[in-house]
Amino acid sequence: MSTDRRPLLLMSPALLWLFGLMVVPCLLILVLAFFRRGIYGGIEYTWTFENIALVFDPLYFQIFMKSAGIAGLSAAIACVLGYAAAYAIAAMPRRNQPLLLFFAVLPFWSNYLVRTYAWIVLLNREGLIVNFARWLGFEGELPSMLYTEQAVVIGLVYNYLPFVILSCYAPLSRLNSEVTEASLDLGASRWTTFRRIVLPMTVPGLATGFVFVFVLSIGNFVTPALLGGGQFQMIGNLVYAQFLTANDWPFGAALSMVLILVMLGLLMVQAVVAERASGARSENG
Amino acid sequence: MSDAFLSIRNISKNFGSVRAVSDVSLDIRENEFFALLGASGSGKTTLLRMLAGFETLSAGDVVLQGGSIADLPPNKRPVNLMFQSYALFPHMTVAQNISYGLEMDRLPRSEISARVSEILDVIQLSELARRKPDQLSGGQRQRVALARALVKRPKVLLLDEPLGALDKKLRSEMQLELKRLQSEFGITFIVVTHDQEEALVMADRIAIMKDGALLQVGTPHDIYERPESRFAADFIGVMNFVPVTQTAQGLETSDGGRISAATTLRLADQIAGVAAVRPERLHIGDVGENRVEGNVLAIAYHGLDLQLHVKTPIADTPIVARITANVADSLTPKIGDRVTLSWSAKDTHIFPA
Amino acid sequence: MVDRTTFRLMLLILGVVFAFLYIPISVLVGLSFNEGGLPTAWTGFSVKWYAALLANDDILHAAGNTLVVALFSTVLATVLGTLLAIGVEIRRRNGKWLETVIFAPMIIPDIVLAIALLSFFSLLGVKMGLHTIIVSHVVFNLAFVCAVVRARLKSFDWSIVEASTDLGAPVLTTLRRVVVPVLMPAIIAGALLAFTLSVDEFIIAFFTAGAGRSSITLPMQIYAMIRFGVTPEINALATIVMSVSVCALALSQRLNKGGLPGQ
Repeated sequence: MSTDRRPLLLMSPALLWLFGLMVVPCLLILVLAFFRRGIYGGIEYTWTFENIALVFDPLYFQIFMKSAGIAGLSAAIACVLGYAAAYAIAAMPRRNQPLLLFFAVLPFWSNYLVRTYAWIVLLNREGLIVNFARWLGFEGELPSMLYTEQAVVIGLVYNYLPFVILSCYAPLSRLNSEVTEASLDLGASRWTTFRRIVLPMTVPGLATGFVFVFVLSIGNFVTPALLGGGQFQMIGNLVYAQFLTANDWPFGAALSMVLILVMLGLLMVQAVVAERASGARSENG
Repeated sequence: MSDAFLSIRNISKNFGSVRAVSDVSLDIRENEFFALLGASGSGKTTLLRMLAGFETLSAGDVVLQGGSIADLPPNKRPVNLMFQSYALFPHMTVAQNISYGLEMDRLPRSEISARVSEILDVIQLSELARRKPDQLSGGQRQRVALARALVKRPKVLLLDEPLGALDKKLRSEMQLELKRLQSEFGITFIVVTHDQEEALVMADRIAIMKDGALLQVGTPHDIYERPESRFAADFIGVMNFVPVTQTAQGLETSDGGRISAATTLRLADQIAGVAAVRPERLHIGDVGENRVEGNVLAIAYHGLDLQLHVKTPIADTPIVARITANVADSLTPKIGDRVTLSWSAKDTHIFPA
Repeated sequence: MVDRTTFRLMLLILGVVFAFLYIPISVLVGLSFNEGGLPTAWTGFSVKWYAALLANDDILHAAGNTLVVALFSTVLATVLGTLLAIGVEIRRRNGKWLETVIFAPMIIPDIVLAIALLSFFSLLGVKMGLHTIIVSHVVFNLAFVCAVVRARLKSFDWSIVEASTDLGAPVLTTLRRVVVPVLMPAIIAGALLAFTLSVDEFIIAFFTAGAGRSSITLPMQIYAMIRFGVTPEINALATIVMSVSVCALALSQRLNKGGLPGQ
């Protein structure tokens, strides 16, 4: 193969781009967090920790906690549904699996604005679900499901479910079927086989799914903005507000910084878990 | 109906239009080391999986000690399977793998640990009890897989190509080891293999399968000395085949010579058939009723004995004769020598072509 | 591996999950053809909402912008991403940091990247418009193209490169006539993926488009329409946008047999 120089040459344009347009801007944000909002909305270049402190102020901290809670709930629901779906796909005849997987994942690659909007149509006070209920015979005022925390959770689960299916499918499909047969042969029931053999061996996919959905949900802007209504705020909305309405860029930067740190922490945990799991991954027993 | 220990009665298995197993009936005795021998695609593995419960029967029944087990799911049968790929649980240690089946039997913890350490001693893996499968060698994994199934003391132990993944030397050792374990534990073994040498060494009785059907069942000696079909004769050991035609005077070879066989099988007149004789039944010199002359084409040295490949006018492929080292020393055959091979009628088999 | 009751349970699970995934989308598609436009009742089949779209100048303008952005960013991202993938796979020992930087654009929350880029452009005093959107889209697009091409490279037979060199070809020629042609299905699949992502992308475009309506993209337009009053044209627009994504992705899948990251 080529000498050492050439690969670097090939990689450099892309790496420069990433460095200049991702790394540097992110570092910029990091630095910006320590400056102060100017009186007229600009940036006052005095070094201060007050933005970071403000992040931990009960008012904003509460929003962090609520975002984490919603993200966690969404991730949990998505994981249960996603694992079940992936398990079901892996249980189908082999030749049907790629097609099933394709259709399970397809919604994930369509426009997420559109996908979120679809739930507005469904959950609206005059929306489809209400109309369907009326058609079934319900009378009177039905509570609007839109602009609630539940709607946001539904929206997040809906958006990220295909990813979990994909993530869980990989270890499930690679599972050596003889290992489950061996368990049955040794006297275990189907449920025990699932609990003690299949689940432990496929947990890495589940863990990856959970972490990614959590991370993607907690920083999400569009879903809470559209489905949560004006009063509803998650971190993403908060950052958006700081940059576009309150004009307090340093504080927005501080919020982002804390968000990134939380995410990095989770990603590192998941990387460690994945590494540990690959030790047990000699699938052919 | 027979009251054999394990009675396989007319079982068949179809996958769509493909007949994987075709009306097979076998009676297997208690404490027997039984081998299912055949090439890939012969249906032997499907048959084994039907016994284990992983394939449903398209027809027929399986009766164990008088009771039918055909409708029992695999986890309820007193039958255990040792998988070809071993199928060890990668996230469990050796000890946990072995104790798994006993936990399913709901045995008390003390008994489980006692049985596990006992069998670890038997297979000589006690020091590796806490290792995970990916830290073991192929041979060690094989022993763990065996132990995991054996420790449950099943009525029947099924083994799917148990020695397939081992190298040659290990394989020979394990063949004897398996035999020893089988008699020590007193469990009926049914082994599936494509290696006829292995079947001959290990089994009390062998069943030859071809294209889903049973061809012949017998002891290794029976199968070797009295093959009932050309396929069986060819499949087991080495066999020489000489095309013959049945005439009014007897069996005639392609060069007009005569062969006599001490068999009641008589081919229809003018029908082509084949005479067969084992290499070790051929002698150099004029010792039997049948003889042929030819030139030595090649000599294969095997240490204990010698294989002479002799080109003759009665067959297209060279005839292989096996002579012992002593005989070879006194005769010193060389490539190109003209030799006379002879053999007796009673060692001649006849099959339709 | 399964018996009949378990199989039925699996089918039930799949049914429920697929219903959950596809009913919302189907509803949108259905509504876009509903004469009345509202979910209250079906009043007949009509394409009038699609016609209304074509008459809407704002939407056409936004669509045009989106196409421009997608095309330019896809071309740039495909070239950069492919070169990056080849370079990374040739150089077998790559540190964890390199891998992190390459994967980061796919994992970083889009809003963080959006504000980072906004701050960056503001600080540099760059006037923002379609060009800043394009440049920003390349950031995550090249990461996706790289992932798709790398996946193909994992099963690449490098001995053909050695053969080409042995037969006298200089490096660039080998790249051009041996490596790239063999990789072409994956490259195209990656390009289609990047195109789709760019067409659908909202937040980064929103933040880097700058003030003024001239550089508004289709997702931004959709967002505004949703925020300021749901009208039936949105259903038609949504259906069109989704169809474009689906077609591009189906094509990508065909070309590369499961070339999406993760598969």
